[in-house]
Amino acid sequence: MAPSLGYLTLWLSLCFAILQFITSFKKDASSIPQFHKIAAIGLLLSTFFSFFSLMYSHIVSDFSVLNVFQNSHSTKPLLYRISGVWGNHEGSMLLWILVLSAINYWIYKLYNGTNSIFVSKALQMQAFITIGFLVFILSASNPFERMIPSHPNGLGFNPILQDPALAIHPPLLYFGYVGFSAAFSLSIAAMRLENDHKIPWHKYMKPFVIAAWTFLTAGIAFGSVWAYYELGWGGWWFWDPVENAALMPWLLGTALLHSLITVERKKSLQTWVLLLAILAFLLSVIGTFLVRSGILTSVHTFALDPARGVYILSFVTLLGGYSLGLYAFKSKNFFNKDYFSFFSKEGSILVNNLLMVIVCASVFFGTTYPLFVEIFSNNRISIGEPYFNSTVIPIMIPAILVMGIGPVLSWGKVDSKKTRRQIFTSIILTILATIMFFSFYRSFNLFGLVGIVLSSWIISNVLVTLFIGIKKESDKKTLSSVNCFKHFNGMIVSHLGVGLLILGITGSSIWQEENITRMKVSDETIVKNYKIVFKEINKLAGPNYYALEGSFWVYNEKNKIITVLRPENRIYPVTNNTSSEVSIHTNLLRDLYIVLGEGDINEGWVVRIYYNPLVVWMWIGVLIIVIGGLLALKSNLTILRRGN
Amino acid sequence: MRKYFLSAPLIIFFCMMIVFYYFLIIKRDPSELPSVLINQKAPMFETTTLFDNKPFVFEEESGQQVLVVNFFATWCIPCREEHPYISKLSKEKNIAVIGVNYKDDSRKAIQWLNELGNPYSKVVVDSNGRIGLDWGVYGLPETFIVNENNIILHKQVGPITNEKYDDFIMHIENSIK
Repeated sequence: MAPSLGYLTLWLSLCFAILQFITSFKKDASSIPQFHKIAAIGLLLSTFFSFFSLMYSHIVSDFSVLNVFQNSHSTKPLLYRISGVWGNHEGSMLLWILVLSAINYWIYKLYNGTNSIFVSKALQMQAFITIGFLVFILSASNPFERMIPSHPNGLGFNPILQDPALAIHPPLLYFGYVGFSAAFSLSIAAMRLENDHKIPWHKYMKPFVIAAWTFLTAGIAFGSVWAYYELGWGGWWFWDPVENAALMPWLLGTALLHSLITVERKKSLQTWVLLLAILAFLLSVIGTFLVRSGILTSVHTFALDPARGVYILSFVTLLGGYSLGLYAFKSKNFFNKDYFSFFSKEGSILVNNLLMVIVCASVFFGTTYPLFVEIFSNNRISIGEPYFNSTVIPIMIPAILVMGIGPVLSWGKVDSKKTRRQIFTSIILTILATIMFFSFYRSFNLFGLVGIVLSSWIISNVLVTLFIGIKKESDKKTLSSVNCFKHFNGMIVSHLGVGLLILGITGSSIWQEENITRMKVSDETIVKNYKIVFKEINKLAGPNYYALEGSFWVYNEKNKIITVLRPENRIYPVTNNTSSEVSIHTNLLRDLYIVLGEGDINEGWVVRIYYNPLVVWMWIGVLIIVIGGLLALKSNLTILRRGN
Repeated sequence: MRKYFLSAPLIIFFCMMIVFYYFLIIKRDPSELPSVLINQKAPMFETTTLFDNKPFVFEEESGQQVLVVNFFATWCIPCREEHPYISKLSKEKNIAVIGVNYKDDSRKAIQWLNELGNPYSKVVVDSNGRIGLDWGVYGLPETFIVNENNIILHKQVGPITNEKYDDFIMHIENSIK
């Protein structure tokens, strides 16, 4: 029953999307919002219903649904039955459509009586995107396909996907990707307005971009957390095509977000913003295409089906051809002749923008380069880490230096004497922090030095900016906790998060130590200053797996026991898969990370032990960035509501 | 002038899409990229060995027997996939395989080989990619067959996996004749 209803409501969603698209053409513009109300609400409700029907089928393990049969099993815990809905191609497309409808509804809420032509054009574009994905899911990836007679049990679920971080990673990521669809539609709508600049389109675009960017940041972070805990390779970023597919829209989103601030303040960079908004979404869809079509190989390949690839690619071509064609003809109307000085806030934003776009281009090139090689030969190759490290890092270094200085500079004309004094203070703070770090850490390395300087530079500038703001309050005798708190705005908080993130990245990639060794029970080994003793190994039974669990006692240099780490080696009998569960001891200075590999009682087990310094600061950093994003979102929504 | 500039994104986009279409539509036939180095003398190099850090001169190894030169790295995922076949090759064919550890962290490479097994008769270091540049390596893994006259007879781009293995063995046997 539920699957049939879900399928039916999916068709209903298509009807609502078509209604929204067609009614936008109406000559009588005043009646459009009424139709759009029906369409937007109808679309949201029907997709919502459809999505929850699939979720219900997964929860009750209705194995007559092919999707449930292929991806679930009656022994699977409830949380993973729910997350299993989007752990496969068809379900994840349905989630994508659900998020699209939610964004569509949010755009609909922008109607305020004065902007109806603009919003209706944006909704038309949004409807077109939604139709594209609905036709795709209904024709090529139906999640409600039945299998009669049904099987008594399902095929199971990839065990490395059974993880809480991965359960929320796709929804966050999709909210990010799809959030950029709003920026795309609003950008198209702005260009289609006939020389009407009175609509503050950038003001409408900003909250969507902030939300998309914030969710994308969180989504990527959860993906990294998952890779770190679950893959057991001791790292958190592998320059895998799928990771790059998320990183590219993130880089453009970062550029877009900052350019929007400039447009808001100075009305310049409008043409640039329109282009970034288009490209951010196109790259999101191309990212999906790269993952779904199987033309790039990666650790998380979804479905290998060229027919699906052709459809998504044709759709991207249509969207890209139309939007970039419109851009080629219309964007000149948005040129602004006000040039601004390099040494100002908008100057620093523009420089950073260009650097972000260059990074994005080199990531794109690196990701697709193996494809170009494959045109001429039939071989898959990997250009991997060295390429990305040597192209991305050198561009990121100036970008981070400029990023540090940006908040200190003011808009337009800069009082250079005052600014110089502020920058001087930041430089002193940076030097002090760096000296402190190395006197404590005592492990010198040139790249480490660069990383630590950049991290302290960002944090020092944030502190200086914060100090100046609060000092102004106290000079004006308006210092109170409320006014003080006001200075912790989205920008300050996010930048602080980036500073901490760089600290974590530097620590864990420069000073990582690893020890791979074969150990028998009661053997011991040394990593950094820790002595690790393999005490025992036990058999365990989990809800849908069996495991071997090793007990490793960790002693510090004073021979005092710190912790017992218990990595596992799991076997899932249903799918006959194995996975290794990492065991980690974390504190603010380092992670101790143990993986139990292959082996047996006679030969011993391969044990991989990593000493990963400062990793936790990466997660703290991202958390703070996301909080910053949410703060910015809140204040921008307030502005938008007041504007309405 | 400006107007043309604004159409640039559209043009670049279409070029990209054509490439993607090409991939989806073509039947990927196994025609290999002819290397300019085929039937040429193998580029000489001097470097150090990975495990004991001793000097290594390629001329001293080559020119007496057929050699297989395999470029690999720990960061390269296809290399991991290829590794068992390289082991099989060196065991079954009793042939000298020289591993060139390309743009890699030597410490990690040593641990990688300890973990997976070391199929190479010698492993040498190419930390800055200089040797790879001379040999025309454009991605990992790549494997060369060099005959006893020091001529490169065959080049395999991408991993030697199950499908490619027999073909590669055939090339080696042809080189020995």
